[in-house]
Amino acid sequence: MKKSLFFGLVLVLLVSFTFSNGILKFAIETEPVGLDPHQVTAFASHRILENVYDGLLRYDENMQLIANLAESYEVKDAYTVVFTLRNDVYFHDGTKMTADDVIFSFERITDPDFGSPAASYYADVESIKVVGEKNIEFKLKTPSVNALLPNFAGVNSAIVSKAFVESGKNMQLETNGTGPFAIADYEAGNYISLVKNDKYYMAGLPKLDELRFIIIPKEVSRVSALKNGDVDISKLNEPLSLNMLTNGFSIYRQPVLSYYLLGINNDVAPLNDPKVRRALSYAVNREMIIKMVGFGEGTITGIMNPTVKAWAVPVDEEFSYNPAKAKQLLAEAGYPNGFEFSITVSAKYNFDKIAQALQAQFASVGVKANLDMVEWGIFIKKWKEKDFDSFVSLNSGSVSPDKQLFRTFETNGSTNKFNYSNTKVDELLVEGRTTTEYEARHEIYNELQEILIQDSPILFLYSPNNLYASQKDVQGFQPMSNESLISLRFVSVE
Amino acid sequence: MTLSYILGRIISAIPTILLLTFMVFISIHLVPGNVIDIMMGTQNYLSEEQVQELTAELGLDQPIIVQYFKWLKGLFTFDLGTSLRTGEPVSQMIADKFPITFELALMSIIFSLLIGIPFGLISSVKQNTPWDYSFRVLGLVGLSAPVFWIGAIFIVLISGTFTNYTLFGFVPFLKEPLKNLQIMLIPAITLGIMIAAQIMRMTRNSMLDVLSQDYVKVAKAKGLKGSKVIFKHALRNGMIPVVTTAGIQLGYLIGGTIVVESMFAIPGMGRMLLDAVNQRNYPVVQGVVAFIGIMIVLLNILIDILYSIIDPRIKLTD
Repeated sequence: MKKSLFFGLVLVLLVSFTFSNGILKFAIETEPVGLDPHQVTAFASHRILENVYDGLLRYDENMQLIANLAESYEVKDAYTVVFTLRNDVYFHDGTKMTADDVIFSFERITDPDFGSPAASYYADVESIKVVGEKNIEFKLKTPSVNALLPNFAGVNSAIVSKAFVESGKNMQLETNGTGPFAIADYEAGNYISLVKNDKYYMAGLPKLDELRFIIIPKEVSRVSALKNGDVDISKLNEPLSLNMLTNGFSIYRQPVLSYYLLGINNDVAPLNDPKVRRALSYAVNREMIIKMVGFGEGTITGIMNPTVKAWAVPVDEEFSYNPAKAKQLLAEAGYPNGFEFSITVSAKYNFDKIAQALQAQFASVGVKANLDMVEWGIFIKKWKEKDFDSFVSLNSGSVSPDKQLFRTFETNGSTNKFNYSNTKVDELLVEGRTTTEYEARHEIYNELQEILIQDSPILFLYSPNNLYASQKDVQGFQPMSNESLISLRFVSVE
Repeated sequence: MTLSYILGRIISAIPTILLLTFMVFISIHLVPGNVIDIMMGTQNYLSEEQVQELTAELGLDQPIIVQYFKWLKGLFTFDLGTSLRTGEPVSQMIADKFPITFELALMSIIFSLLIGIPFGLISSVKQNTPWDYSFRVLGLVGLSAPVFWIGAIFIVLISGTFTNYTLFGFVPFLKEPLKNLQIMLIPAITLGIMIAAQIMRMTRNSMLDVLSQDYVKVAKAKGLKGSKVIFKHALRNGMIPVVTTAGIQLGYLIGGTIVVESMFAIPGMGRMLLDAVNQRNYPVVQGVVAFIGIMIVLLNILIDILYSIIDPRIKLTD
């Protein structure tokens, strides 16, 4: 009796040991708010759902757009793109993905009553139809297929099951994707457990049996959890945490496309004068801010991120620290003794620290910046109502110049809260969107970036490095510059 | 007699709870930014019409007072509404989270009583000796150290010294009792230290008071052993203020474990409330606050009943 109990125990231990080999425990700061891929906007939701839902396209580790649930795609002309669907894709409930599901997904996204954040991406789409059995054709009203394509890679454009959605499930609470993992268990505030999708279309993937996101809100707690082995991998928000993880851990550094900015209200005097804005830009010591706030973990960014070599125009001179030039420009603009303005800021993502550094640097050229510290919800309200002189924030960037610049600088761009309006910029943005040839597009975006440097409607500051730390036995983790975690499907624990 | 007293207390508590929920309702609605703003953040993907539609759908376009009475009507039918973010019923969310916070609060109180009463007792009996001085200094330190600091010290110390100790990765008590207790122990001590200090001081003062009373002197004079005097005659009377403190603290803990729950990644009600405030998830805020209010009222009634058990001279009357 005792013997069998003992062997039973050993067996249980062995089984749990073999199973634990395939588990990755990932510490995350914030939990997802909602799980409907077509509704979520929270960063935390995207990071989880990109492992659960797939789209027609995805980015590979070099940020190249590649086919995903589509086997291939063909750009017929500037108005038309045709996707050929894979034949071996299954939803987590076991049903096969069909062209119907794809059409349904895009109808759901573009339904104006539904209010999906992705609806605007497809505003130029005239028709979506099935051609043959497994080809989906998108036809556009404008020749803007270049601008359209990157949208197919995000969670917001994921393919959902028509039958599942129509059965009346609450998609914010229940999931049924085609991705490498399916959500098995979600205990709010505690953890989200994803298990391997055995019918995932990529052979041999995912490598893990279970991917468990453990919600630990405080950085010191995440680092400690890593140190005593409660988790296998964690994102680090504070570069200082690296000091606590000096040996025995793998450290990952990834420059990201997101960038810190000083948003400026281009209607408020004296900030309505481009000379004044450029003076502020020269007064900023970006290197110093990266050292002070980011402990060296960051890169100065231009209008396009410098890692996007295909498009980025260098800004070494223009974004350099030059207080003499700043003073000269201020004098030319009629403010030799400086002026006073306010920076609206919330204590989130180091915004407050950056604002303090800016305040000190502006002071050295005689400009007095008053910090207006507000709670995040209030910040958003002020941002929305353009109720500010300036603000510090973090914008998500893109490898696509259209995605990076159109919404930010077009007169009616959805995130242009700067009252910035330049007819030439608007023209170039539309031209860039509707031109298909690379050389011609390149010229357009070069000119555009030059204008934006001269106008300085906002101050681009820097792109932080994303930092992760993992136990040594974690293999294959690759952070990406768009901060996506889709490489988790390739990760194993040796 | 007792029953009518309890009933009376409950009825008299209703206006308090109504006032509480009304004030919270007004204040959370007065804070700028609503759930839709915060949901969109700085992405701004909905048109003005869509925002208006969504506002109407969530019932946020009605006057605040109308919204409040709608909520109140729901309260009387035990319908606390649903989360504006996920559509999950608020009552379910509270039912999931409350046991966790309650366990944490209860463990801290037990810890603080286990530490506070003996220390306070020793301090009072050995008044003005080195024992008394050291406990008083310890008490002062416990009172002065903020919870977030104690928590951080514990986390860093334990992860540095006992690398095998599981601090994070909460499991429910019913699933894995031992692991649950292990994970909850340090947060409970973190919370309990300050309360232990308060209870220690309370016990000391109260015992000093009791020990100077005539009946204790008589007991001593008739030759009773010191321990018998203290445990049989004095302690029981000295416990009344201590029970009050512990009860108030338990109520405070039920609503006030936000910091510790965040530090130790415990998925309790405090963190849910904090998230809901940040997201302007009005029904969740309302539901949790009303629930905490009701719990505190019930706790106070419970303490009154405890008085009459500890000290039979106290009678419960209206």
